[in-house]
Amino acid sequence: MTEIKNAHLTTLKGAYDTELMEATLRIRRWDPDTQRARFDTFTVTVPVTASVLDALDAIKDTHDGTLAYRKSCRMAVCGSCGMRIDGGAALACKTPMKKFVDAGHTITVSPMGNLPVIKDLVVDMAPFWEKIRAVKPYLDTKDEEVPDTEWRVAPEHGDMIHKESLCILCGCCVSECNSMESDPDFLGPAALAKAYRFVGDTRDTDTRERLRDLNGAHGIWDCTRCYFCNQRCPKGVDPRDAIAKLGAESFKEGFVRDEGARHAKVFVDSTFKGGYLRETELVPKTIGPVNAVKDIPFALQLARAGKVPNPLSPHKAKDNDEVKRLWKLLEKEAKGAERPRAQHPDAVREG
Amino acid sequence: MHDHVSRSRDACYVLAVVRTPAYPAVYVRGTAARRLFPEVSVIRHDVIVLGAGLAGMRAAIEAKRRGVDVAVISKLHPTRSHSGAAEGGINAALGNATEDSSDSHAFDTIKGSDYLGDQDAIEVFAREAPNDIYELEHMGAVFTRAADGKLAQRPFGAAGAPRTVYSADITGHVLIHVLYEQLIKHDVKVYEEFFATQVVVDEGRCAGVIAWDTKSGGLHAIEANHVILATGGVGRMYYGTTNAFACTGDGMSLAWRAGVPLKDMEFLQFHPTTLKSNGVLITEGCRGEGGYLRNKDGDRFMVGDAPNAMELASRDVVSRAEWKEIADGRGVDGCVMLDLTHLGWKKIKSRLPGSRELAIDYAGVDPIETPIPVRPGAHYMMGGVDCDLWGETMVPGLWAAGEVACVSIHGANRLGGNSLMETIVFGRRAGQAAAERVLEQGDTGARIEPGVLADEDRRIAGILNNDQGERPGALREELAKTMYDKAGVFRTEEALAECQATVHDLRERAQTLRLDDHGSVFNTDLTNALELLSLLECADCLVTSALARKESRGAHSRLDHTERDDETWLKHTLNWCDDGEVRLDYRPVTITKHQPLARSY
Repeated sequence: MTEIKNAHLTTLKGAYDTELMEATLRIRRWDPDTQRARFDTFTVTVPVTASVLDALDAIKDTHDGTLAYRKSCRMAVCGSCGMRIDGGAALACKTPMKKFVDAGHTITVSPMGNLPVIKDLVVDMAPFWEKIRAVKPYLDTKDEEVPDTEWRVAPEHGDMIHKESLCILCGCCVSECNSMESDPDFLGPAALAKAYRFVGDTRDTDTRERLRDLNGAHGIWDCTRCYFCNQRCPKGVDPRDAIAKLGAESFKEGFVRDEGARHAKVFVDSTFKGGYLRETELVPKTIGPVNAVKDIPFALQLARAGKVPNPLSPHKAKDNDEVKRLWKLLEKEAKGAERPRAQHPDAVREG
Repeated sequence: MHDHVSRSRDACYVLAVVRTPAYPAVYVRGTAARRLFPEVSVIRHDVIVLGAGLAGMRAAIEAKRRGVDVAVISKLHPTRSHSGAAEGGINAALGNATEDSSDSHAFDTIKGSDYLGDQDAIEVFAREAPNDIYELEHMGAVFTRAADGKLAQRPFGAAGAPRTVYSADITGHVLIHVLYEQLIKHDVKVYEEFFATQVVVDEGRCAGVIAWDTKSGGLHAIEANHVILATGGVGRMYYGTTNAFACTGDGMSLAWRAGVPLKDMEFLQFHPTTLKSNGVLITEGCRGEGGYLRNKDGDRFMVGDAPNAMELASRDVVSRAEWKEIADGRGVDGCVMLDLTHLGWKKIKSRLPGSRELAIDYAGVDPIETPIPVRPGAHYMMGGVDCDLWGETMVPGLWAAGEVACVSIHGANRLGGNSLMETIVFGRRAGQAAAERVLEQGDTGARIEPGVLADEDRRIAGILNNDQGERPGALREELAKTMYDKAGVFRTEEALAECQATVHDLRERAQTLRLDDHGSVFNTDLTNALELLSLLECADCLVTSALARKESRGAHSRLDHTERDDETWLKHTLNWCDDGEVRLDYRPVTITKHQPLARSY
């Protein structure tokens, strides 16, 4: 065999050198056979750089092979390992263990909410995917053939859907969605962010139909604006902001009849009039005069508790003109702005 | 012809149930179950695509468009596939940034492959790439745009022009979602979280697959005359790897056991910039945008090995230079430094936001202020299932596309941005060819015989019920460290021989794996064990091929045979499965225009 001078190059010395720590996790287990839950606590030795997912792997590889959870990329892009860590949904791979270990805190890991549990930390994502499917989640250009060049999209128009296209469909937002807890049929933050990804796409030709569908039951106006989805999203998608953008686009298209839309409009109108919200106008203008009459007994109860402001002399801002000036400025901008459209390859050729 | 297809559709909604003492029967759907034998019924499709990454979904969409009954089987939900982790971009000679041509793309790829790539395949690839990009864009891919609204293109390693179309540094993510959207649009049936355990060959023809339903448990026979393997890579056989946990070479192992040779398995690409903590990839785009590599003294060491291309030399060249710096003691804590600080926050935030996020999350540094410690990590298997230009293997009806396949485009070394393009071009071609074959040929008559299913059932039950021996996780870690230490960037006869002995020992020990979980519902203990078996078979092929190839070419760098030897070794390695053992064989490389030249950057 030939003499090799640099044989030391085959192995990277110190490749596995790393500082270790002891991590303790309390895990909610769900046994699909007995349909019973329990909590197990494990202590494992992991590198100081370990994520919660690495700690779960250490448990599975060395303590208890029955522990079930989903994982794949371990770099926060595949969306497999959404689970609740101390009660809030997060990606296990994106949550470092060290801060908990340093604080001497035992984290509690449990499955995501709003989805049925299959086993341990694994939930049934089927209802989630159904809702994604429900928003027609693909670009509609009405084209039969693929042209031989690209659409022309101005960089700033492409940026309009930048945040929504970051979504990895992990379900963390849905796990924490308050609206979905009371109405399991609510489309929910993930599907609605996906919907805006197409409404805001300047190549899509189906905007009006999309918005009409989203203004139906269980649609955009059923969001309670709790902002938990924005808070829990591991990728900065900000689904609630996407829902707000869908609301604004709906107004532009004249979809203003939903109670939710009317409710939003009262806020706008009443601040224009007096700089404040006029609560007594809110109910009849949102749910209509007939339903408002039906609610009179409830209103009286509120009045007895001192919760109803005087309807005859509503709050008024001292300098309401400034509010009006701002309002008009915004309205002008909104009216001047046409929906931007990408340039179709055919138009590029003709022009 | 169409009559036949519709007949086969009538019979397709019968579902498989296997009843054994090991796992209780699952469920029966459909009405035709009673027509078959009592215990087992069978699902049928015209075409099955195994794997739902970019290549798999692209193949499925193409087959479906052509009017055949296609189903996708994947051990993950489609958007969980590892294609989504690709960052930098996808290469096609659009010429949007500067003058470019398919010929130039082809030549760069041939040179990059160290002349081991088949030139006829590379020509097809480079020629068809641009239209596939326009199609992706038309499907809705959100690519980064230039000021004129056209697709922006960035420079990448060893490319003669800015040729890489991208979406910031999340190109794979954008593409996997756009293809999933198309999968929904075309209403393609997906068997999610089904783990394929065997590709069945009946009288020399592909008959379908046997798959374990992870969610509910139970083994299913899913028949199809055409199976397209698109299961991706095998990086998990290495300790330092950019690959997802799911990249365990399942498709390679399935094909190998079905009698198809694995080609060029010794060529495993190490990516130069991966994080030490968990192997996560920092995109080549960082260097494309102007990042520097520095050693502990702050020197740009690439000046030694690639004075012209510097950090944008081919990946094998950069990985070797880094490995040498670190092994010779000029690294920092086992790493070199990827310095982006001079690019400024604005460029980093707009062009490389994902890399910044990864560096903050997994290395604890913000690249706007601090260089990122990086080292080479196993990244991409250039080799794979031997197939022709349409993806068909030696077993009629068994096809392959994407990383699992070896057409071969990448030869001894792949260029950054070419793998995403390969998934699309060759995924589409495989889907098209398989569909056309269905429409021309009709049913080939290949079937999964009950005995085959029963045998597989016994094998899986044996693994599932075993509680003796070592845990899969322990063996996986031993394999990964052995491979990283002894079959890494630099190789010697001695190290490879030791590595081979360990792999053989591990294969022996893996015959009995201790499982804690003997249940049927979401048993990842079982799937981990099955994945380990795939990894071991692929590792055996890799190390056996590497030991035999006594030259240095592309990613295969032998310290005891430092030169490229075209006289003896300008040929593909074929690994055959000989009763579970690796048997080597060779085949010439296809050369059309470009005779091998010395390769320097």
